[in-house]
Amino acid sequence: MASITVTNLTKQFAEKTAVNAVSFELGEHEFLVLVGPSGCGKTTTLRMLAGLEPASGGDIYFGERRVNDIRPRDRNVAMVFQDYAVFPHLTVYDNIAYGLRSRGASRALIHERVTAAAKTFRIDQLLKRKPRQLSGGERQRVALSRAMVRDADLFLYDEPLSNLDAQLRHQAREDIVALHNQKQKPSVYVTHDQSEAMAMGDRIAVMRDGKIEQIGAGGDLYKSPANLFVAYFIGTPSINLFDVTIEVEADEFYAVNPGLRVRLPAEIRDALQTYVGAPVKMGLRPEDLHSPKLAPFAVTEFNQIRGIVNVIEPSSTGCAVYLSTIEGVPQDFTATFRTRLPATYLEKEIPLALHLEKAHFFDPQSGLSLLKR
Amino acid sequence: MSSVQLENVVKYYDSALLPGAAPALDHITLEIRDGETVSVVGPSGCGKSTLLKTIAGLERPDAGRIFYNQTEVTQIPTQERGIGMIFQDYALYPNREGQGNLSYYFEVRKKTEEEKQQRLKETAEMMGIGFDLLLSRQVDTLSGGERQRVGIARCIVRDPNVFLMDEPISNLDAKLRERTRVEMRRLLSKFGITTLYVTHDQQEAIFMGDRIIVMRAGRVEQFDSFDALYYTPANLFVASLIGTPPISVLPAERDGLTLRLHSGDSWTLPEALAHTLPPGRLRLAVRPEGWLVALQPGDGLALNVTHIERLYTERAAFAHGQLGGAAINALVPLDFPDTRQVFLQPDWERSYVFHADNESALHVPGVPDLF
Repeated sequence: MASITVTNLTKQFAEKTAVNAVSFELGEHEFLVLVGPSGCGKTTTLRMLAGLEPASGGDIYFGERRVNDIRPRDRNVAMVFQDYAVFPHLTVYDNIAYGLRSRGASRALIHERVTAAAKTFRIDQLLKRKPRQLSGGERQRVALSRAMVRDADLFLYDEPLSNLDAQLRHQAREDIVALHNQKQKPSVYVTHDQSEAMAMGDRIAVMRDGKIEQIGAGGDLYKSPANLFVAYFIGTPSINLFDVTIEVEADEFYAVNPGLRVRLPAEIRDALQTYVGAPVKMGLRPEDLHSPKLAPFAVTEFNQIRGIVNVIEPSSTGCAVYLSTIEGVPQDFTATFRTRLPATYLEKEIPLALHLEKAHFFDPQSGLSLLKR
Repeated sequence: MSSVQLENVVKYYDSALLPGAAPALDHITLEIRDGETVSVVGPSGCGKSTLLKTIAGLERPDAGRIFYNQTEVTQIPTQERGIGMIFQDYALYPNREGQGNLSYYFEVRKKTEEEKQQRLKETAEMMGIGFDLLLSRQVDTLSGGERQRVGIARCIVRDPNVFLMDEPISNLDAKLRERTRVEMRRLLSKFGITTLYVTHDQQEAIFMGDRIIVMRAGRVEQFDSFDALYYTPANLFVASLIGTPPISVLPAERDGLTLRLHSGDSWTLPEALAHTLPPGRLRLAVRPEGWLVALQPGDGLALNVTHIERLYTERAAFAHGQLGGAAINALVPLDFPDTRQVFLQPDWERSYVFHADNESALHVPGVPDLF
């Protein structure tokens, strides 16, 4: 059952349409992440849900109730901000208790909830302190505790982790998931970081220029991007995009450019039929480029690319290798390996086998995916 | 280009006001080799920006000496040291187009027109495709990533001895940051300019640095390659700072071959490892990939899984939970079943043990031999 329904939500700022006819539904216990580059309208959407920004058009329903004209405090929404927005003059305890007090909760209830929330977020020993005596991570946990004590109908998070450094961010991510699991209320979370979105969201809406480009489970967005933008935005390092022309020779389809000539799998011929002789964009995820010796498929002269190794980035699961092609205009591409490539390969030319069964194809004009995966 | 040496550099802020205050830089001795990129990473307030400013001459050390190529520069003013600096907020001249930003130096230094044009042309060529297009644009029409490219080029035209960068891309959003750092890394290795790169983001530090300085409270905790920091950390602080998701740290006690956790549960240590460890209190640390994860009890301890985080983009999943009072992230295959309980045992070959009090390393796995 949908508990939050948004239809054709629009926000106009003078000349600029910040949010353009956005529609989505949010399930009873669902955690939805809005992700996109700066200026895509994700925060504006969130602020309209909270009532901090009036909608220029469209409807927002909480259950059966249309809330467009309802004041923020009467929407019963709990929000966590990027800059934490804790009151500097109040103690940690009073900060956490604030929402409950302003709603006239009993002293006993306040005490019970505040101490329980503080314990969950490991700030129970800090309750008497003022925010300025706290670190960024601790302030963030005050803000989370303040959201937790409320019986809100909707939880909203506006880039709550961006001000934390990497090590704290992981723990805070866990804390937010824990908060959500306990509350089991619909939640909307805004971030510009796709890896955060992939790690946290039940579903993810990728936004650009005020519109939702695609909405779905993280795995679906990754495996079946609807268009070029989603394919590029989701995944790190980003998907490799090659400008190729589709050519046919002896009934076989080839993707061709000056640095590349690869034979395409038979299954996708139908989808590419109308593009023979025309340019398309071929996308391959970095993990679908393999060392020829370790490739999980037969390597031929028609599924390889050669490149010069520019940078090797170590990671805990192996490494990412940044290369560029040699022939024609050099083009950058990336491969990720499960083992560490030794630094001796820097500046060297290496062959890589392309797993073309995993390739994506896009119309260069519309950007739409040509394959139904 | 040049190497940079620091010899026992000490820097106090407000030393007159607060006698006994901790120094911002506490006897720093290190050498940055000619042409290498060194990144500096550490929590806020660890002294990494002070280190950069001291090397630049924007801050004068209270003690110690600084050398560029064996020549002492401690008392030489910043503008005479031949350095290029890039900060978080770009700091381009907003009233000039890209080209004007690059040529400003030549105008101020009264270089000849010919010399200026020659150097601009060389730089634009080396900066790569499309750079000449940026040069004709006004600064306020450039994106954040483009501004940083112009910023780098502005430093390169001056042929600096040393490049100093302080959080140069932290204002950009995640996707743009990813693209810009690849670009910067390539330019730096191409020009072979000695670079000090300050960041709070360990992943960026790993990416940018040939070697990495880890700082805490004004001191250098370790200065080495990523592999060395990852597999042979000097202490628990370095182990915790390098690697995401972070290493799990379990307080424990060794008695013979038994390693007992605070919860009372225990594992049996392999003999060879047990002999290298002192008896009594220890800290066991295990990276996400260092767990043997099983669905059946066997020799493992039960971990109640709070949730399984599936990262399609990394073809991996992490099982999260609490064990012996520590937060655990254990790496499991992406298609791992949705279970509430798993059984864990450290892969002892890949585990770390630290001293319980001073947190120095007692046992580390060492850099694996992959090839």
